[in-house]
Amino acid sequence: MLSSIAKPFAALALAAALISIVLAALGASPIGVFAALGEGAFGSWYACADTIVKSTPLVFTGLAVSLAFSGALWNIGADGQLTIGAIAAGAIGPHLGNFPHAIAIAIILAAGALGGAVWGGVAGWLRARRDVNEVISTIMLNFVAVQALSWVVHGPLMEPSRAYPTSSPIARAAQLEFYFAPSRINLGMILALALAAACYLLLFRTGAGFELRAMGRNRRAATFFGIRIPALTLWVMALSGALAGLGGAVQISAISHRLYEKLSPGWGFEAIAVALVARLNPLGIIPAAILFGALDNGSQAMQRTQGVSPELVQVIQGLVILIILAFDTPAWGGLRENIFGAPHDAAAVPPLAEMPDA
Amino acid sequence: MLEAFLTSAITMATPILLAALGELLVEESGVINIGIEGAMLAGAFVALAIAYFSGSTALGLAGAIAAGVAINAIFATLVVNLAVNQVVTGTAVSILALGLTGVFYRKLFGVTGKAFMVAPIAKIPLGPLARIPLLGPVLFDHNGLVYFTFILVPTLWYVIAHTRYGLRLRACGERPEAADALGLGVIAIRWQALIVSGALTGLAGAFLTLAYANTFVENISAGRGFVALSVVIVGRWNSWGLAAASVLFGAAMALQFGLQALGTVVPYQLFLALPYALTLVVLAGFGGQAAAPSALGEPYRRQ
Amino acid sequence: MLSANAITRRFGRTLALDAVDFEALPGEIHALVGENGAGKTTLMNVLAGSLAADHGEAVLDGRSLPAGSPRAALAAGIAAVHQSPMLFERMTWEENLALGGFDTGAGALDLDAVATRARALAAKLGFEMPPAGATVEHRSVAERVRLEVLRALSFNPRVLILDEPTSVLAPSELAAFLDLLRSLRADGRIVVMITHKLAEAIAVADRITVLRRGRVVARTTPAQTSEEKLAGLMIGEIVTQPAASAPPSHPGDPVLQIENLTLDDHTGRRILDRLSFRVAAGEIVGIAGVDGNGQTELVEVLAGVRRPTSGKVTLHDGSSGAMAVIPQNRDLDGLILDMRLWENLILARPLREQVTSHGWLNASRAIDLCRQLIDRFRIRAPGPETLAGALSGGNRQRLEVARAIASRPRVIVAHNICRGLDLAATAEVHRAILDFAFAAGGGAVILISSDLDELLAICGRLLIISRGKIRETSPGERDPERLGLLMAGARD
Repeated sequence: MLSSIAKPFAALALAAALISIVLAALGASPIGVFAALGEGAFGSWYACADTIVKSTPLVFTGLAVSLAFSGALWNIGADGQLTIGAIAAGAIGPHLGNFPHAIAIAIILAAGALGGAVWGGVAGWLRARRDVNEVISTIMLNFVAVQALSWVVHGPLMEPSRAYPTSSPIARAAQLEFYFAPSRINLGMILALALAAACYLLLFRTGAGFELRAMGRNRRAATFFGIRIPALTLWVMALSGALAGLGGAVQISAISHRLYEKLSPGWGFEAIAVALVARLNPLGIIPAAILFGALDNGSQAMQRTQGVSPELVQVIQGLVILIILAFDTPAWGGLRENIFGAPHDAAAVPPLAEMPDA
Repeated sequence: MLEAFLTSAITMATPILLAALGELLVEESGVINIGIEGAMLAGAFVALAIAYFSGSTALGLAGAIAAGVAINAIFATLVVNLAVNQVVTGTAVSILALGLTGVFYRKLFGVTGKAFMVAPIAKIPLGPLARIPLLGPVLFDHNGLVYFTFILVPTLWYVIAHTRYGLRLRACGERPEAADALGLGVIAIRWQALIVSGALTGLAGAFLTLAYANTFVENISAGRGFVALSVVIVGRWNSWGLAAASVLFGAAMALQFGLQALGTVVPYQLFLALPYALTLVVLAGFGGQAAAPSALGEPYRRQ
Repeated sequence: MLSANAITRRFGRTLALDAVDFEALPGEIHALVGENGAGKTTLMNVLAGSLAADHGEAVLDGRSLPAGSPRAALAAGIAAVHQSPMLFERMTWEENLALGGFDTGAGALDLDAVATRARALAAKLGFEMPPAGATVEHRSVAERVRLEVLRALSFNPRVLILDEPTSVLAPSELAAFLDLLRSLRADGRIVVMITHKLAEAIAVADRITVLRRGRVVARTTPAQTSEEKLAGLMIGEIVTQPAASAPPSHPGDPVLQIENLTLDDHTGRRILDRLSFRVAAGEIVGIAGVDGNGQTELVEVLAGVRRPTSGKVTLHDGSSGAMAVIPQNRDLDGLILDMRLWENLILARPLREQVTSHGWLNASRAIDLCRQLIDRFRIRAPGPETLAGALSGGNRQRLEVARAIASRPRVIVAHNICRGLDLAATAEVHRAILDFAFAAGGGAVILISSDLDELLAICGRLLIISRGKIRETSPGERDPERLGLLMAGARD
């Protein structure tokens, strides 16, 4: 059994070793690659700023995932929820030209949150009312969202010249401005920080958050004590979807200003790595998202100088999740706290009749 | 026109069905692997790389099997031996395989791509059968992988429903602790299912590169691993049902290409979304997982 | 000869078996007796290979068995019958038996041959088999036990270990079952019967081994011992039960009324059948019954987890916190083991509402409350921030009782709350329940248990539940034997 202090270090060492093996197989120098990643992500003021920008959607999706996972609702669909949020924002954005800036921003962000909430809420409703596993439904809804985006940019929302599969740009009033041009730092990250704090308060300082965590740790006990699981499931999935959808709307409002196919490079999946590194704690989401945002941002420089393609970032994401899981499993020892609590680890507890009173 | 459409439907259905049959075995043993996409991608890439550099399709297929098995072995170690959350592990395995294939593809083939073509797997027309009008070209003029896949349907149905091994497999998915008490070896059986599934999924990937696209592009599987997951649900955990669902989804994909070419008013995305939307409808209609193995997705760990 | 040599097994920090030596000879029925939690089932699981011992080994006929391999144990000839049948609910009974030793062919599955062999063996034992192709989930508990016994015998075992096999058998089936064990003995097999029913052990066993808190405390024979002696050995100290005579009830106003409560499960099987009874303030009502006769479902209905098919539950104090439920499975239903003690406390809605205002949770108030209860109920724990899983079984139960009482209900529904607890912990839990009921303005208690002695000790009124039906017993009826018959489903 590994002690809780040695474990994070062992996990880090294992991750570094495995990534180095992959890099060696690619004929690249691990040190060179890590240096290039660091340089690309934090090497200049502009690089740092861009890391922040690249991390912003990950904070939203990371919060979405951590909130749902805290309730043992395996929302694999943050990507789809973000996409639907972006569609809603991209659809309404061009029509906000006559509104004052603040109102236009509020409307476009609300539209994104609402779109994501509907998409997450569908999965929540299916789970709550039709006993449909949210894993399957959120996966399916991801693909439906991708096709919906493809359809709107080729069809109803296609820009007027109909030359490119994109939507019309959103109105100037609905765009979040860059505070430190030429960097693209915008209000989005501030909003993300505020939401992280709000999620933390919700989860650890309110009765509803307690009910959510209780449901995540032991659904049966939560049921027994009158926590209304179906209603909670619906609301948590909708809220989780709203967070992801808001991330999509921020991306439209601040960065891309229009819809196009393959808007999300996989923020909803990367969010799982972010949430696990943060141990599902909303405050931990911020550094974790910045870590992965930095990897994304540094990967371009890595490709330029080291000839390693940016997909390495996905290798790192995958390995990080697997290693965290492997080191977190109760298989290493007796009953103890792990990320997912012990909903299924009842087997680790001896059967009732065999528990002498010590 | 009809002939071409139906032939294309069978071709599109094959890799999905192959992967879905593997997933069926895994789910019957009580494990849900949402990382099918990862094993499929790995199979697709390794098959192409080996076939391209060795010139041998057979070696390519063998490599695909090895790659699929290797990916599933990672999954099995975590999920079966360490009893880790299956959903999150499956997602991570997908991401990892997507990254690894992308990185090594760029390394081996540079940034261009389409130029690295391989010869398609040879078709084996089945003698006089292949000359029956319409039915012949649609059903009996394919490569060996297609025949293999469709022969697997009755084979797996028989194995799962009518053999001792199938009964044991189902026992592990129904109540692993009871299967364990009877000495059935839950861990071994789940590993076996995942290894067979890895091989089938790897072959499904190889089909994409060696028989269909004849090259590799990043994320060539394009969600087919997840379609395979829906096929198991829509097919109600029955290999005949899986075959029917695969052909239906294959036809939707084939139709979509036709529509895209014709430029009709019906958006082709509707057909691409069909498998996923239909899965949601089936799940909502049947009210959850009534036909699924009872212990599906529950980690099993002995005390 | 089957022997266990110095077997030690821990669960976390709990020592379940402490260097246990045990042996059973061919041609004998060996009873393994002990209190709940004494380690009997753990020992069975080690012998049957379902659990690996930390130290020590099991030896059959001079050959030691590999630890933790059910397959090796079965191959060596050791078969086990578990207390709650280990069957595959959604498979047919033939498939369940095919997974045992009836199906010897390779490859193809011949369920007809399995059924034929099973019926032949069943005929010898006087068992009746379900109709062909019936799935197990629709069969009765007794039928399931018969299937599991049959499956164990299908291995033609040298050793048959049975864990409390008689607890679900009706009295009419009992004699035939004991005859079966005797016929197995006559074949020269080893029969190990785990039981806490001492009369049964004395009646049928050749030798008796007594376990107490993970240790063997006596090896004896029926001729050398008596029920009283065995009870003394099992318990280990003179019984100082809190109140051998139940305090008189002074029922006050009725607080809970149940009328024609009926529950059917999803397959349409009737689980609860028109239950009607009422409970008054200051009253402890016992509901006695063999496990699996609808108790769990009754508790779930009362807790509001399940909706009854028909009938009415009326609480005279209509507020939502008026009933507190202590479910039987404290580790799965009652507590969240990897949450802190104070968090477990506020699982109870009234306590949660106490420490929540406008939706905000006041953790420090919850922690204070938890600290008070730790003191008042003498819960042995480092503090409110301890994880519930770090507590021993007895302290977990104290926490549950403390939580129920602190939420100031009018009725407490408690299900098998003393199962697996030692005597001291049992006494304290009972004391807390009695205090709750008999305090000024006291509440009502429904105590559901399969332990008749416990109920007779603290309940003023006793109901019997059997096959989902409830019946009152007359106030003077205190004869355990007669009550036992009623629990087993006998009619007057």
